[in-house]
Amino acid sequence: MIPANFDYIAAKSLDEALSLLAKHKDDAKLLAGGHSLLPAMKLRLAQPKVLIDLGKIKDLAYIKDEGGQIRIGAMTTHFQIETSDVLRRACPLFPETAVNLGDMQVRNKGTIGGSVAHADPAADWPAAVIAVSAEIVAVGPNGERVIKADNFFVDMLTTALQPGEIIKEIRFAAPKGRVGQSYMKVRHPASGFAVVGVAVTVALDGTGKCQSAGVGVTGVAPKPYRAPAVESELKGKALDGTTLPAAAALVTYDVNANSDLFATADYRKHLAQVYTRRALETAASRAK
Amino acid sequence: MGLATRIRVISVPSMPSVVEGLNLKIEGTQKIAAPRERVFAALTNAAVLQKCIPGCEQMEKTGENQYDAKLTAGVGPIKGVFTATISLADITAPSHYKLVVEGKGQPGFVKGTGELNLAEDGENTSIQYVGEINVGGLLASVGQRMIQGAAGMMAGRFFSALEQEAKTYSKVS
Repeated sequence: MIPANFDYIAAKSLDEALSLLAKHKDDAKLLAGGHSLLPAMKLRLAQPKVLIDLGKIKDLAYIKDEGGQIRIGAMTTHFQIETSDVLRRACPLFPETAVNLGDMQVRNKGTIGGSVAHADPAADWPAAVIAVSAEIVAVGPNGERVIKADNFFVDMLTTALQPGEIIKEIRFAAPKGRVGQSYMKVRHPASGFAVVGVAVTVALDGTGKCQSAGVGVTGVAPKPYRAPAVESELKGKALDGTTLPAAAALVTYDVNANSDLFATADYRKHLAQVYTRRALETAASRAK
Repeated sequence: MGLATRIRVISVPSMPSVVEGLNLKIEGTQKIAAPRERVFAALTNAAVLQKCIPGCEQMEKTGENQYDAKLTAGVGPIKGVFTATISLADITAPSHYKLVVEGKGQPGFVKGTGELNLAEDGENTSIQYVGEINVGGLLASVGQRMIQGAAGMMAGRFFSALEQEAKTYSKVS
């Protein structure tokens, strides 16, 4: 449980972190909250030679609502999101995801940018980030780049980030109208990770029918995904006891589900359908 | 990735132990846009295999179809260095062979056997494969929930690299 030797450098600014990353390249790992990287290092499954700590860069932790554009700094902790009045008002899905994430120690130190960059296949944030169609803003040697959440998660522990890039911000348009949201998960009893996690946001039109829907799923497949079949099944319909189960049943359509000690692929798919239905029901009831 | 990648990973959930490890079975079909003879030649060429096996840093011939290798295998930040033996068996050109990889390292051990069957598919080649993988040690106990996904990713990387190699293979041989 003692990591291999490494050098520790606390970057004071994003520019400094970028140049350190450019200098040390593959030898370096960025340290955000450290709740995935440090356990891996203690097991010596990860042995970076240099840790570049982003924790001292203060202007990377913020939550802003700029005229309906929500901007969350990469180093914002789960706890800051959980307790953010801005997000509770503008996008309660995010505080609800945060409150279900890990334990208090993880939420106090862990960050949304770190979680998204690590891309654990059972992490909670990817589901919410996909559901609200967020954009991930990355900075690299050639400046800023915006990556859509749908294109960001490439595979297990693998993202669209290029070597040398750092996530700066996660941003999205605050959902408008009669909005209802929900995050539901089956929590792994030991790790707190999502065996299945479903994030839902729905918006109703004037007649109470579903105008738009976003459904993000984590824990089920090697990478988090959007469930477009569920979304289109909901669109234009009243979110009632017929529509919701029918839509939820489509959440694992064409999905190659994970199988592990805790849940076989079939059981996971079943859980995903049940929890999607429950998340949709909750979201629909909140939208009224 | 490849033209028609469809990798199915069938894991056999069982409690991993340090000694016996965790058993996985992967199977799938991979279509490669190159003629069968060329794909087979590439698949049995040490230099090509070294480029295709994910994380294979060096490969040294120790006997007929036997190699010692050094692998840095992993996904994302999780990496381990393995010393491995790679052998090719049951070679029936140009339709079949067996690839056996046994690796040991600080994070545990990996043993993998893959049976590959190559069929002609017009101008292309269709590779049907079945692999049995046994992973043990720290890797299996800590990484249990990700092993299956990692195995699928490795197979995917192997075949997409192979496709690139097979396309250009006639030029290097």
